Amino acid sequence: MSNLEQQVTTSPPGPFLSVRDLSVEFSTEDGIVHAVDGLSFDLRKGTTLGIVGESGSGKSVTNLAILGLHDPDHTKIGGEIWLEDRELTGADRATMERLRGNRISMIFQDPLTALSPFHTIGRQIGEVYRKHRGASKKEARERAIEMLSRVGIPQPATRVDHYPHEFSGGMRQRAMIAMALVCDPDLVIADEPTTALDVTVQAQILDLLKELQQQTGTAVILITHDLGVVANTADDILVMYAGRAVERGTVREVLTEPRHPYTWGLLSSMPRLTSSVDAPLKPVRGTPPSLLSPPPGCPFHPRCDYPELAGPELCRTQRPEISPATGHGDACYLSLRQKTEIRTAQIEDHA
Amino acid sequence: MRSHSRRIASMTAVLAAGALALAGCAKGGGGGAPETAAGTSSQKPLENKAVSAITVGTAEDSKGPAPEIAEAKTGGTVTMLDRDDFSHLDPGRVYLNYNSSVSELFTRQLTNYKRNADGTLTLVGDLATDTGSTTDSGKTWTFTLKDGLKWEDGSPITSADIKYSFERLFADFITEGPTYAQQWLVPEADKPFRDQYEGPYDGKELDTIETPDDKTVVFHLNGAHPDFNFTLAMTGYGAVPKAHDTKQKYDRHPFSSGPYKIVSHVTDKSLDLERNPHWDKNTDPIRHAYPDKWHMEFGYQSQQTTERFLADNGKDKQAFTFHNPVAPERVQEVLGNAEAMQRSLQGLTPFTTFYNINTKRVTDVNVRKALITAWPNKQIQQLAGGEVTAGKIATTVMSPTVMGYEAFDLYGKLQKPEGDPEAAKQLLAQSGDPNPTIVYAYNQTPTQEKITVAIKEALTKAGFKVVAKPLNPATYYDAIGLVDNKYDVYWGGWAADWPTGSTAIQPQFDGRQIADGATNYSHLDVPEINEGIDKANAITDPVEAGKAWAALDRKIMDQAAIIPEFYQTYFGLYGSGLGGVKFDPLWGEQSPLDIWVK
Amino acid sequence: MAGFLVRRILGALVILMIISAVTFYLFYAIPRDPARAFCGKICRPETLDLIRHNLGMDEPLFVQYWHWLAGIFMGREFVQFGACPAPCLGYSFATQEPVFSAILDRFPVTLSLTLGASLVILSFGILTGMLAAWKVGRPLDKIASSSSVIGASLQIYFIGPLLAFYLVDTLELIPRPSYVPVSEDPVGWFTHLLLPWVVLSIIFTANYTRMTRSQMVEQLTEDYVRTARAKGMSGRTVFFRFAWRGAMIPIVTIFGVDLAALLGGAIITEQTFTLHGIGELAVRAVQNTDLPMLLGVTIVGATAIVILNIVVDVLYAVIDPRVRLS
Repeated sequence: MSNLEQQVTTSPPGPFLSVRDLSVEFSTEDGIVHAVDGLSFDLRKGTTLGIVGESGSGKSVTNLAILGLHDPDHTKIGGEIWLEDRELTGADRATMERLRGNRISMIFQDPLTALSPFHTIGRQIGEVYRKHRGASKKEARERAIEMLSRVGIPQPATRVDHYPHEFSGGMRQRAMIAMALVCDPDLVIADEPTTALDVTVQAQILDLLKELQQQTGTAVILITHDLGVVANTADDILVMYAGRAVERGTVREVLTEPRHPYTWGLLSSMPRLTSSVDAPLKPVRGTPPSLLSPPPGCPFHPRCDYPELAGPELCRTQRPEISPATGHGDACYLSLRQKTEIRTAQIEDHA
Repeated sequence: MRSHSRRIASMTAVLAAGALALAGCAKGGGGGAPETAAGTSSQKPLENKAVSAITVGTAEDSKGPAPEIAEAKTGGTVTMLDRDDFSHLDPGRVYLNYNSSVSELFTRQLTNYKRNADGTLTLVGDLATDTGSTTDSGKTWTFTLKDGLKWEDGSPITSADIKYSFERLFADFITEGPTYAQQWLVPEADKPFRDQYEGPYDGKELDTIETPDDKTVVFHLNGAHPDFNFTLAMTGYGAVPKAHDTKQKYDRHPFSSGPYKIVSHVTDKSLDLERNPHWDKNTDPIRHAYPDKWHMEFGYQSQQTTERFLADNGKDKQAFTFHNPVAPERVQEVLGNAEAMQRSLQGLTPFTTFYNINTKRVTDVNVRKALITAWPNKQIQQLAGGEVTAGKIATTVMSPTVMGYEAFDLYGKLQKPEGDPEAAKQLLAQSGDPNPTIVYAYNQTPTQEKITVAIKEALTKAGFKVVAKPLNPATYYDAIGLVDNKYDVYWGGWAADWPTGSTAIQPQFDGRQIADGATNYSHLDVPEINEGIDKANAITDPVEAGKAWAALDRKIMDQAAIIPEFYQTYFGLYGSGLGGVKFDPLWGEQSPLDIWVK
Repeated sequence: MAGFLVRRILGALVILMIISAVTFYLFYAIPRDPARAFCGKICRPETLDLIRHNLGMDEPLFVQYWHWLAGIFMGREFVQFGACPAPCLGYSFATQEPVFSAILDRFPVTLSLTLGASLVILSFGILTGMLAAWKVGRPLDKIASSSSVIGASLQIYFIGPLLAFYLVDTLELIPRPSYVPVSEDPVGWFTHLLLPWVVLSIIFTANYTRMTRSQMVEQLTEDYVRTARAKGMSGRTVFFRFAWRGAMIPIVTIFGVDLAALLGGAIITEQTFTLHGIGELAVRAVQNTDLPMLLGVTIVGATAIVILNIVVDVLYAVIDPRVRLS
């Protein structure tokens, strides 16, 4: 672990990952899908960024783009992704292969399907280590046992030879985390890591992630549709809608003073310990827009309750940019005052 | 004819395949083949006349060796390619032409036929010095064995062997071969022969065969059979040595009395023969035995053999086939290929085909005559692949290959082979029912389906109402073999067991033999004909007997018991490296007797 | 594993018993008398009775079946054919040869044909399928995919004689197909079977190419494949070490079925090249309504299917650790 400690201490502060004006387009038979459109965000070393949004909002696509996992034949990626001083969208295949699983690794949603059913857990963890560290089979196996032990799997020396189907769901996700962390990555992207798990196991896994992050100082991107998950885990939040960032800020800022009507919708669709049991949950009305032909103007306006407040045509014709450029910002034409009023009214309503 | 044989099944299959060929009559093309049946060239259509003048030869005719063929050479290996393996080689179990053809190479009987260069046949002594003698009009027959006859191990062929060869035919496992001699050699002609003698395996002998010395065999029959010496020419009465009788296993590997012996026999795959050094050509007036070896392979469809004979490559140059005809779809091509026609042969087989009229159901002779008159023979011939593939339109019971055959055409079928509905209408008017219903049963094959349509059309034109009943080919003969079957007309075929009228006519038209599964499919039972059969059977002089059978043929046709269809033809090819490949009018396929390697 | 095999083999024997009994019974339901095959042209009723007795067919059906079954283990005696030592499956009605030895004689032919062709089919089929999937949408894929469609739509009886005509008759590159025992002349065995292998392969390889391609393409969209790539595994590793395993499962299944069918007789191929294998035997048995041979060939075919089913199940367990043999 000395290696790791060293990394942590020698890493320069400041944005570790910087995404600038990222766009991802898929060409399909029906036309071009604008999955991500002009997305920018930063991630500091050792912090956790929660990316929140409905399915299809572009959160997973963004992260696959960071890893360079999109099929280059059908995907057009624009903008820049900087990992420290290296630009990734233009990097060659070999460079990306060296990064993946090594400096950036990923934890997938459903560990049952995301782990190979044909290979033992030990081998699946070990081969990452062998690939990136040139370890022998024996060393890789020992490392795998060590990692299993670190993620809290009992009897790791036995379990290392088991197949994923012999593990419980929570165990599998732990093994997945072990696999993601085996090379001490600088960045871990966890894509809905707890969605497929029981509620009690969810909490354990999130705690584990947090604990490991504290130990290693790894930066984490936590992708989720569940604001509850990020509330306890993340430092910063990025809310995505239709391939764009609609709100960005610290956890505290976004959760306590949400500014974008979409964020309001997400929050009100979430059960809270503070609200009464009878209070109805209010999901965001309508459905996410088609990414084949996104609506003009603010992509959220067809589902927004307040487009008139910003002026007769503005929301329907002009696309709002996120502002301010740093700190707590959102992409909405409503004035801060209007937002505060509406928000206050909503909360009173609820209570 | 019975459905028991794979070979016969193949004949019907060939007829079925004929539908694929272009309709229309074959016209002889190119250079005539040098060797064809009855000496006719391929340019001249075969005529409905007696094609095989058959004579009974003298002791001189029976002497070996067979007359040398100019240019013929000794040596070499001949390849034989055919569809099926020989189903039986134990002489006692051989009934099929195909098995008989190959048996000529290693099985000898007391008598056999000399195939003369002009296409005629002469009955001669094979193992016997002559064709046998009888002093009591055919009840007692005496044969003398030639000198120098030996089995493949060099031991002499004796009269005891001949006697034993007949005795073993009574054994319970020999059920496939002919039974004429057995039935005539027991005391009572009317009782099953196996009830009267059980065969030699328990040590009992058959008293009706005497062997006064090593060379003489005397047969005492229970009735007069003037053509018994023809009967004995059947492969079924070939010689089997007591010392080497392996009973059931003999069928796989018989012991040779002929010019070749079996080296190996792999069922359904191959049969290899090589010279029997103990065979003496001076004892044999029939077999030339020019090649040193024969290699026979099975499993080739006629399409494949036609292809290979036409390509004429490598070892295929020295190849012939006993049975595989030119594939019907290639007939026109072969007829137009002068080079291939040099290596072709054709002729009339002993096989005739016809439609039985169930005389038990169609009792009015005028209705039966109307059926023959209206029958569309020409259309059927075209659907079956034309004259070269299917056969010549027949007008008699007996085949032109049968001794005494007379050509006649009582119903004008050669003038109006497509059927004469007007004449048929007149006949029906005389019968009192101008619109009788006819139940026509047929083998359900693609060709037969088409033929049935033609038949239905022609009969309807003449005023018949036709009900067509398709029958399963697998059980066809079982169905029509029932005495009280519910059909009026059904197809059949027949070949005489030896080329005299007795086996051409008696099994089919003796009314006293009607039974389930018996061969009188038309159920004809006319006292005058039954008596005529007995009389003809008693005539000693073969020529006179022939006339009597021809007269009976006329009577049967006058009774309209069958609608003759075809005298079957054979058309085959062989490789360019062989000489002396001839059509055998006896077995109706290619003959191995005169073949030599160029 | 051992318990699994014992159970499966016992089950297989029961299945084979049922198949043989059903075949036996169905055959007798055909209104045709096999005794007629042994009766001369002029067949008398007493001869038919004798033959039925000789063949053991004058007894009740279940007794006959019992004799047939007992003959396999103890041998039996037929008047018509003589002794038939165990394992006795009777004698062919058509060729009078012992069914067991007929099948034994021909099995090496079918086995050589099948195994040789299978090797080519599997290696070429999977290889081209993998290549097509590897380069999906690229020219290589299009060539492999369209040539596999062409291959699959060709017929043995069409390309068989065609290739024989060019390669054997015209160019004389290879000998006319036949079976040379591998023990006698391995080179001859190989060259004489080359053409049938090639022809069978052209037809079947196409299926395996298409199947492998589509399976691979499907596997490549699986989550665990994406995980492997996210771990930094190279495209090649992902393709040949991960996706391959999943793609093999349906291929093994189909291959088991195909192999069993081929072992039961590659009928058209054997006919086309006049190879004396099980298929030819089967065709003749059907044409001749040859009960003992039909039963024998049916049992061989059924045995092949049953054994290969067990093998396929074992292979599942080898390929996919999730499958448990029980």
